[in-house]
Amino acid sequence: MSKKILIVDDSPISRKMLKSCFPKENDYEFHEAGDGLAGLELFKEIGPDITFMDLTMPVMDGATALAEIKKVDPRATVIVATADVQIKSVSRVMDLGALMVLKKPPSKESVRDALAQAEGRVE
Amino acid sequence: MESEQTLLNDEEKDILQEIMNIAFGQAAADLAEMINVFVVLNVPYIKVLKAVDLPHYLKTEIAGYDTICMVEQHFWGEFKGSAFLIFPAGSGKELVTIMGEGQDPQFESAIVDGMEKETLMEVGNILIGACVGKVAELLDDRVTYSPPRIVVENHASNAIPANIFDLHSSAIVLRTVFTFNERAVSGFLFLVTKCESIVWLRQALAVFMERYE
Repeated sequence: MSKKILIVDDSPISRKMLKSCFPKENDYEFHEAGDGLAGLELFKEIGPDITFMDLTMPVMDGATALAEIKKVDPRATVIVATADVQIKSVSRVMDLGALMVLKKPPSKESVRDALAQAEGRVE
Repeated sequence: MESEQTLLNDEEKDILQEIMNIAFGQAAADLAEMINVFVVLNVPYIKVLKAVDLPHYLKTEIAGYDTICMVEQHFWGEFKGSAFLIFPAGSGKELVTIMGEGQDPQFESAIVDGMEKETLMEVGNILIGACVGKVAELLDDRVTYSPPRIVVENHASNAIPANIFDLHSSAIVLRTVFTFNERAVSGFLFLVTKCESIVWLRQALAVFMERYE
C-alpha cells in the first residue's frame, strides 16, 4: 500500500526537488500545498503518513502550521524541510514536535535517511 | 538591443528564488553562529527589470527610510553583480546593542559610534558573502569580492548609484527582508546581477535542476 506524503512549501520548484529525491522503487502518493494554512486543511482532509513542512511561507508559516497539525493529531509525523537551519529555528520546531529537520537543498541520501527515520516511527 | 530570450522565464525565476532562499538560510545560520543573533527570514522575492529602471526601483523599495546605512559589495564570477544591504539609519547602533547583549551591559556612546561601521561591515560581510557564495556554490561557480563600501546615515536618494549598470542591459533583483532577534532592526538585501550573467545563469539553473529530474 502506498504511503501518503504531504509536501507543504510555497515554492513549486522546491516541491518538485523534494519529490524527485524519493526512492523510485517505493510507491508514494503525493499531495501538495502552497502555504501553511492550505497544508493544515489538506492534512485534516487526507491524513498523510508523513508531512514535509517548509518554514518560511506566506499566509501561515511552517512553525505555526506544525503546531496546529500537532493539535489535530499529536502523533503526526512532520519533517521540517527548510533552508533556515539556525540552531534556534531547529530547536523551536523540535520543541513543537517535528520528527527532524531536513536541510535544503534535499538530496536522495538525505530524503532516504529522513524516510527511514519516519517510516520506522510510522509502522 | 537585448532579446526577450535573455530574460528569465517564470520557472527559472522560481528556481533562482529557491536557490536564494537556501542561500539566505545559510547566511542567517552563519550570522547566528558567529555573532549570536537570531535572524527572522521572509520569503525572498525576485524581479527582472531594465537596468535603467533600477535606481528608481531601489529608491521606491526603501522609500520608508528617510536616511539609510548601507553596505555595498561587488562580486565577480560567471555570476557577477552588486550586493546592497540596506538598513534604516541608526540600525548600526541597534546592532551593536543586540550583539552586546549578555556581555558588557553598557557601551559608552563614543564607543558605539566607533563600533557602528565595524558592526555593519561584519554583518554585511557575513550576509553578503554567505548569500552570494551559496548561490555560486549551488550553481558551480566561484566568485571574488570587492572590499565592502559602507555608507552611514545617508539620504536614501543619494546612496544608490545611478549609473551602476549599462542602461541597455537588464538586472535581476533578488530581494529579501529580514529582522534581527525579533527586534525592530530589519532591512533589505538586494543582489543585482548584470545582463551578461543572465545567459550563463539560465544554463546554470538548467544544470542545477537536472539533478532533480
